[in-house]
Amino acid sequence: MLKKRGFLFELNKNKIMFAMLIPTVLFFLINSYFPMVGIYYAFTSYDFAGGLFGSPFVGLDNFKFLYQSGILWKLTLNTIGYNLVFIVIGNALSIAIAILISEIRGKLFKKLTQSIMFLPYFMSFVLLSVLAYNMFNFESGFVNQLLKSMGLAAVDIYNTPWLWPILITLFYIWKNLGYSMVIYLASIMGISDEYYEAAKIDGANILQRIWHITVPMLKPTFVVLLLFALGSIMKGQFDLFYQLVGNNGLLYNVTDIIDTYVYRSLKVNFDIGMATAAGLYQSLFGFVLIMTVNAIIRKINEDYALF
Amino acid sequence: MGKRRLLTLCTVTLLTASMLAGCGGTKTEAEKPSVDKSQTKDNGDNSTTTTTANGIDTSEKVELQFYMLGEAPKDLPTIQEEINKLALADLNATVKFNFTTWTDWSQKYKLLLSSGQPIDLIFTADWTEYQSYAKKGAFLPLDELLPKAAPKLNEFVPKDMWEAVKIDKKIYTVPATWKEYVTEGIAYREDLRKKYNLPKPESIETLEQYLDGIRKNEPNLLPLADNQGYHTSSVRQLTTKTVNSSNTVPYGLNIMYDKPRDVTSYWGSPQHLADLKMYKTWADKGYWPKNVLNIKDSGHDVFANGKAAAILGSENPNRYNDSVIKIKSLHPDWELGYFPYPNAKGFAQPVHPIHNGFAIPRTSKHPERALAFYEKMVTDKRYNWLTQYGIEGKNFEVEDGKYYKMLGDAQSNGFPREGMQGWAWRNPEFMLFDKSFDAVLTMFSEFDKIAKPDIFQGFPEDWSPYQAEKAAVEQVEKQYLYPLNVGLVEDVEGGLKLFMEKAKQAGLDKIQEEYTKQWLKYLDDIGQ
Amino acid sequence: MKDNQAGMSLSFKIISYVIISFLSLACLFPFLLMISGSLTSNESIIRDGFHLIPQVFSLEGYNMVFTFPDQLIKAYSVTIFVTVVGTVTGLFLITMAGYVLQRKDFKYRNKFSFFIYFTTLFGGGLVPWYIMITNYFNLGDTYAVLILPGLMTPFLIILMKNFIKSAVPDELFDSAKIDGANDFRIYYSIVLKLSMPGIATVGLFLALSYWNDWFLSSLFINDSSKYQLQYYLYNMINTMLFVSQMSSGTGVTLAQEIPTESTKMAMAIVVTGPIVFLYPFIQRYFVKGLTVGAVKG
Repeated sequence: MLKKRGFLFELNKNKIMFAMLIPTVLFFLINSYFPMVGIYYAFTSYDFAGGLFGSPFVGLDNFKFLYQSGILWKLTLNTIGYNLVFIVIGNALSIAIAILISEIRGKLFKKLTQSIMFLPYFMSFVLLSVLAYNMFNFESGFVNQLLKSMGLAAVDIYNTPWLWPILITLFYIWKNLGYSMVIYLASIMGISDEYYEAAKIDGANILQRIWHITVPMLKPTFVVLLLFALGSIMKGQFDLFYQLVGNNGLLYNVTDIIDTYVYRSLKVNFDIGMATAAGLYQSLFGFVLIMTVNAIIRKINEDYALF
Repeated sequence: MGKRRLLTLCTVTLLTASMLAGCGGTKTEAEKPSVDKSQTKDNGDNSTTTTTANGIDTSEKVELQFYMLGEAPKDLPTIQEEINKLALADLNATVKFNFTTWTDWSQKYKLLLSSGQPIDLIFTADWTEYQSYAKKGAFLPLDELLPKAAPKLNEFVPKDMWEAVKIDKKIYTVPATWKEYVTEGIAYREDLRKKYNLPKPESIETLEQYLDGIRKNEPNLLPLADNQGYHTSSVRQLTTKTVNSSNTVPYGLNIMYDKPRDVTSYWGSPQHLADLKMYKTWADKGYWPKNVLNIKDSGHDVFANGKAAAILGSENPNRYNDSVIKIKSLHPDWELGYFPYPNAKGFAQPVHPIHNGFAIPRTSKHPERALAFYEKMVTDKRYNWLTQYGIEGKNFEVEDGKYYKMLGDAQSNGFPREGMQGWAWRNPEFMLFDKSFDAVLTMFSEFDKIAKPDIFQGFPEDWSPYQAEKAAVEQVEKQYLYPLNVGLVEDVEGGLKLFMEKAKQAGLDKIQEEYTKQWLKYLDDIGQ
Repeated sequence: MKDNQAGMSLSFKIISYVIISFLSLACLFPFLLMISGSLTSNESIIRDGFHLIPQVFSLEGYNMVFTFPDQLIKAYSVTIFVTVVGTVTGLFLITMAGYVLQRKDFKYRNKFSFFIYFTTLFGGGLVPWYIMITNYFNLGDTYAVLILPGLMTPFLIILMKNFIKSAVPDELFDSAKIDGANDFRIYYSIVLKLSMPGIATVGLFLALSYWNDWFLSSLFINDSSKYQLQYYLYNMINTMLFVSQMSSGTGVTLAQEIPTESTKMAMAIVVTGPIVFLYPFIQRYFVKGLTVGAVKG
């Protein structure tokens, strides 16, 4: 009762702000929340006559294929491991590059390099995988040609599993650096000059200014990127792994993530129930993780928390 | 705090659920026909011809939704217009030809069928999982509809073909009647073979001799063009009488044509080990590149562009003919040779009737008209030629009274031969072939002499009892067997052992057992 | 730009230039391969692979891409239209949402944030979404279906919220309120102006997501005159994949000329090229936003 009055009171007080949110709320309600009914598919065996609610209920059967081969735990670890590395290295690098670029004076150079660093974002992984094969293959690849010309032995890159976590991380960074760098760059641009002026008067050198002003001011941006990355820690980057590794089973131990596993499992006989089940597993995992992290962030500084 | 949030969330989800359920499929379906009716009102004057010759009600003008896989030809709008002129007069119907394109076609196909949107005609094939969709109730049974709505078509398709496409004793698709062979064979460079005096690669021994000879004399040429390790099924075609004409029998099973009831496991058998050891030596000799599993080029392209000296899989008569034409234009001095696997097996299997067909999804609003229209596509030469070859004089000409001749070239012609991927409504009586296709037809008539019916494709596998195991075993196969297939594992014996162990863990035994049971029952049903 | 750079040590400067140059080269390299590939004859690509300098020079790739230029032009205009309309509309909604969600005096901001963020965690999957759009909203084969689903993403809203938070000091809201401005007016005449760098960034990302999209075409568009540009590229690549993946046992024969490697590369260049040139233009807004920011101090 009391709460209701509180809400109405708020509604009345901030009716313009509520009105400004209506399109957003509607958008997510329709585009995202309505289709969530489909989560029910995870527990049914789909048949065409029955549709969503008429198909037989099968309980947790659809989840079985995930643990049937006994590698679910390893897939989960792989997925999380890769994403953690992506988050840490990706963010560190894009912050560093954003700072470097923000300190560079030459306008043309700045623009040109920024544009170039954005290029990989446009490249589809299908094309990239073709070029990667061209660079890495044993007999005629770029890398091995280079090694041979220097009198070194050729490396069989595609059959050397330990190289792949490094390569995949490199490709990930190569592809996404431009994108996240721009976010940080925009944040840096938003920092008021007053801070720098004051620091300068205090006699701080360039490194001190970066460390004591720029880096702390990027924290909120970092937290947002972190929370979104964590929420999808069990998903994402399917193309990166699938296109680069493909059918090379020798690498699966170190490169298989849940998405690729599910894709390969369902490619031939697609099953709505099983696909939904896999998605639900990923979602629940991400959900628990994000609630925990967000709670921790809230404890430290409420402003940075997402909700 | 968190609990309350979850609660609200649940309510929201439930709410939306009930909303969606409330306005569920039945309602939209009830809405749709009224739209159709309003469309027909302005055509009331057409009502004089309310029935066609075959007795279905055509008083209402309808638009049929036709779905085919692949790319739409550039000239489709013109063709559609022409067809609609005919169909409006004949059936008081128009048709909209929709194409899925090849981008994620399998996903799209699944969405089209499971979303409940009205579709009147859709392509079916073994490789689009016709059996599985039919079993799950995605298509309408046609048994009663056929004599009424498409009597001519009903007569036109031979009885045994209707029998062959039946799933659970019901017809769900209209099969194509053109008899073709898509059996594979070894394609090789005949000019090099002659040059270095090598034997014709027609058995494992001669194949090895040929490849060794190439390796020795042409170090820059790849001996084999196979990618992804697909040579395994090719070798089985060459060395056994495997029941299947193209793909392997799944789950590592061994089923031979002469003794189809005799089901054993090929995976893990001594023969399997011997084969894998042979692949290892092939890999060591450099028959294929080390990173063969990561190659993206199609083997066909690699071979047809002269990068490799032979190809084991992927060349059926039609494609081989393609390679011949391509090589002829690129390198007139080269020569190709071909050894079809049926010659090794001693019999050839024409494609199974379910290989190409058209079904009426259960969401169709006008099944009768759809079937009547499809009858026209197959049995009426005007419809058939328009949708197979385009407009005469604009897209093609008939040469010497029987050959198809494209006007312009494949790049500029807006409707090349079979531009609508009309594999399913080919009618042998109307078919026109390019002159170059004579070679394929000759090959086909050779195969006719040793033809035996395909008993495999009609088998409607029901994998729902072992769905999870199937998915898991497919994973294990990729992870542990593929590397063995291309000779990347040093210890072949240990590798095979590991693979079998993992496969058994994933449920291979259960799959093989269940599959065998279904297979034997199927053989009983078809009287084998 | 920042006038405190006078104190920047020379070594720092040199290091910056070296690192940035090196990274740019690494990013550029595959594209040089692609450009060279698009100018190489297909036969040569299959035989010798890609090289920085074409082994056998040929324009056949581009020839094939431009055989039917009207379709390409049409796709270009569809993508441009969708990108412009989608970005402008989406940006309006995103900035509004971001603005409200960062207002400290808006009590339910966290609840709404969660409502939005939650959609990144859970989803009903493709099938129900597809059913909703085609059967309930009847959006198949419309321009709307290319625009609407991409209007907003949780990520961009939250990002926007943060940009606004750091660009507009809280005191400004109070003083504006005292001056009698309503919440929409504050948004319209203060927030939009002050958060230019953030808006430019979010706008850029939104525009990119429209530009790069092919998935919506692949799901909902049957009419080839409404294909997005990227879909052309994807289709080309996928037709090749299809042909190479379908085993010959299917007997699939395609009548159309199958796009070759060099065509694929040429198409990729034609599709990506223009937006790369557009990027520096968008970048100008950063500079502009910066000067606005400086004036405010």
